[in-house]
Amino acid sequence: MSSVEITNIRKSYGAVLALSEINVQIDSGSFYTLLGPSGCGKTTLLRTIAGFHFQDSGTIKIDGRSIEQLPAHKRQVGMVFQDYAVFPHLSVRENVAFGLKQQKVERSKIEPAVNEALRMTQMESFAERMPHELSGGQQQRVGLARAFAVDPTVMLMDEPLSNLDAKLRVDLRAELRRIQQDMGMTTIYVTHDQEEALAMSDTVCVMYGGVIQQAASPVEIYKNPSNRFVANFVGTNNFLKASHDASGNVTLGGAKIADGINHSDTNSGLVAAIRPEDISVMDSNQEPNGDKISLSASVRRVSFIGREAEVVAVTEKGDEVKSTVHPTTEILSLSEGSAITLAFDRALTHVFVESDTGRRLT
Amino acid sequence: MSYDANVRTFLGFKVDFWSVTTVVVLTILVVMLLLPIGSVFIVSFFDADTGQFTLANYVEVFTRNYYVKGLYNSLLVGGLGTLGACLIGVPLAFFMARYHIKGKTFISTLAILVLVSPPFIGAYAWIMMLGSNGIVTNFFKAFGIQTPTIYGAHGVILVYSLKFFPFVFLMTKTALTSVNKSFEDAAENLGCNAIERFFKITLPLVFPAVSTGAIICFVLSIADFGTPAIIGRGFRTLSTIAYSAYTSELGGTPTMAVTVSLVMMAISILALFAQRWFLAKRRYASALTNRPVVHQLEGWRNAGAHTFCFGVVIVAMLPTLVVMYTSFLQTNGPVFTGEFGLSSYQRVLSDAPEAIYNSFRFAFAAVVMIAIFSGLISYLIVRRENAISGFIDVLMMVPYLVPGVVMAIGYVTTFRTGWFDLTGTGLIIIMILFIRRLPYGVRSTTTNLRQIKSSLEEAAINLGCSPLKAFIKVTVPLIMPGLVVGSLMSFITAINELSSTLILYVSGTVTMPVKIYISVLDGEFGLAAALSTILLVCSGLCVYVVFKLADDRESSFL
Repeated sequence: MSSVEITNIRKSYGAVLALSEINVQIDSGSFYTLLGPSGCGKTTLLRTIAGFHFQDSGTIKIDGRSIEQLPAHKRQVGMVFQDYAVFPHLSVRENVAFGLKQQKVERSKIEPAVNEALRMTQMESFAERMPHELSGGQQQRVGLARAFAVDPTVMLMDEPLSNLDAKLRVDLRAELRRIQQDMGMTTIYVTHDQEEALAMSDTVCVMYGGVIQQAASPVEIYKNPSNRFVANFVGTNNFLKASHDASGNVTLGGAKIADGINHSDTNSGLVAAIRPEDISVMDSNQEPNGDKISLSASVRRVSFIGREAEVVAVTEKGDEVKSTVHPTTEILSLSEGSAITLAFDRALTHVFVESDTGRRLT
Repeated sequence: MSYDANVRTFLGFKVDFWSVTTVVVLTILVVMLLLPIGSVFIVSFFDADTGQFTLANYVEVFTRNYYVKGLYNSLLVGGLGTLGACLIGVPLAFFMARYHIKGKTFISTLAILVLVSPPFIGAYAWIMMLGSNGIVTNFFKAFGIQTPTIYGAHGVILVYSLKFFPFVFLMTKTALTSVNKSFEDAAENLGCNAIERFFKITLPLVFPAVSTGAIICFVLSIADFGTPAIIGRGFRTLSTIAYSAYTSELGGTPTMAVTVSLVMMAISILALFAQRWFLAKRRYASALTNRPVVHQLEGWRNAGAHTFCFGVVIVAMLPTLVVMYTSFLQTNGPVFTGEFGLSSYQRVLSDAPEAIYNSFRFAFAAVVMIAIFSGLISYLIVRRENAISGFIDVLMMVPYLVPGVVMAIGYVTTFRTGWFDLTGTGLIIIMILFIRRLPYGVRSTTTNLRQIKSSLEEAAINLGCSPLKAFIKVTVPLIMPGLVVGSLMSFITAINELSSTLILYVSGTVTMPVKIYISVLDGEFGLAAALSTILLVCSGLCVYVVFKLADDRESSFL
């Protein structure tokens, strides 16, 4: 398949900057996900690659060949749509053959290519059906087969699973990933579902405000978010107000969590981020062992959610902290106002500048 | 508390306001719609002289050259007129729906004015322009250039194309604005350029709407009487044959007029069923996630699109403008003196005041009835879903398909019996206007009512209103916009009615369209123009009010 190189893509609608100096490098055969809240520019970027939007400046190269000046119908990139866009007046087979016929592929070669695409998506037995006779999931398989069939350089997917129900979404997501890996198909995938992004991708690119916040492997994105936005958007996180002094020491509830921090901006403070699953809940008289930070807190509520329990507590400084722990009898018997100690690893704590997209300092 | 004790029953059926209404509505529709059509149907199967059952009338229509030629001509002008309307309407809809066109409201307004002006005015205005003594003809004659004549089949086709294209335009435009953009994006992504995309994806997707518009054009063309009568000059269609058969059989049983009319109706019904059958497999319900974008055209394309859009509606409006212009020309008897003046309007006041009075009286009376029954019928159709209301819903299609001539002859045969004779009265004209235009009111009101949740009425009943009271206090105020728009549409079409009133009128019940038709035949163009102008201004005012009231102003006219 093909590699993609996007350089300095910029796109504005009047005064609104939709994409600001986007630079993306996608290796051949990899699954690259654009993740972000609605309005972050992810769909705009995808549609710019497809040629449905025209960039103000910048270049898009596929295998080193610039495509950013080509009209959409000459780009040879596959696209799968959120609303399937399976042509309702054509049968499944005619839909899948549509792109091949458009490319003036020899008649004798269309049939096998269509059958192959239908086989890949397990839609062979539906070939002669009309789209309205298919469920949403089946329609999206047709959308996928149609995009495959033309053997595109790059596959673009615009939230292809978001209109399906939860169970089907998870099944189809695994299948999509399998097909993608089997074919070694370079894929750019847009979603607002972080679980989907983490589960499927080689690289997750988190976008916000038309700017790429971080592009890295799912584990890296989760474990080492590069700024506060990523730390907040991907997974759940607690942000606790931290203090720092002139010598660069950062403290949380009296305990030092970092030193040598160079943060001279006095206007914005610092926050320490710790994920709920990294916090343990103990009796107030217990002392954490090892190199842990402990905070006294009082319970606000405990919710049992099956596999685990979620404990929401308020620290002495007034920060609300959420932790997910094993639902032991002791935990579930905690009542509102119970005094507890929250303990967590210093190494798992990240310090960020307090603004929306404040950078990570440790 | 025993609840059931309060429920009155009759022959085991629950009796409440709505069941009584159902019976009343059904009775009226049977007497005023089915009976006349049925009586016409029966007449066509009997020999006019001997009174014996026979199929000879139909055999005659399908074998005698005179009728076969008429049938052929009807299909010819109907088919080609519809084709012309599509060739104008579809591109116009596409430009208007997908590109920035300056003066869109103006273009839509003109298209709708074309729609509400009676077709025979157009025909007669084309004669004034391109006829043997027309303005354009004389202009070119001065340079020694022979212009093509307007008389005959091609003239009729031209008039139909320019008159009926708004149906195709409005239908297609609505559909084009609701095609999911993703389909077109997908086509482009799969390698279609703009033209391929239009023909392979967009046009097939809006085809149901285009064909619905086309069917309306076709049905109206087949049934239209005024245009071939005025412009045909020996070119006979089924509707002109039916009318002349009726006038020559006057006094006797109008057997041949009726048979010909029923053939006409059968063509319309066949066309409609063919279209329904074809569309049944092509229902493209689409979740609207992605509305199409309106683009700005550049350079010559932009100029071309504007020229086309304005050109079409202005040319289509031209006949109407010519009529209005002519009405202000001074006449001396039937002769134009070449100066401006109001003599035509003076003639209206002296020769035809009763036509104006009658037109308004009849149309107004019919519309009051239409308004009342539209409210009741739409409630039955929307809220009381059962076999009978389903049947009433189907019956509401019938008046669209029955040509005015058929309906009128049916009225004559049904309501002139030994015991009573309604022919020659104003009542029979009001009745026929009511039944022919009722569907306009019902459709508009039904659309409105479907958007109102039934829980509102249920709340009123829960709070102690009887079903009737809930209807009057809650439903009627909520459907008022639909009711008013529907009534106005009924009014416009009722006041322009010609084909049925031409058969039913007597000197005391002459209406404006009838008077215009007679004046044109008598060569009284000034008088015809002045009356037409009055008619057009009335229609125009109604259109203006509809525009003010309706949410989706353009689709109100379909």
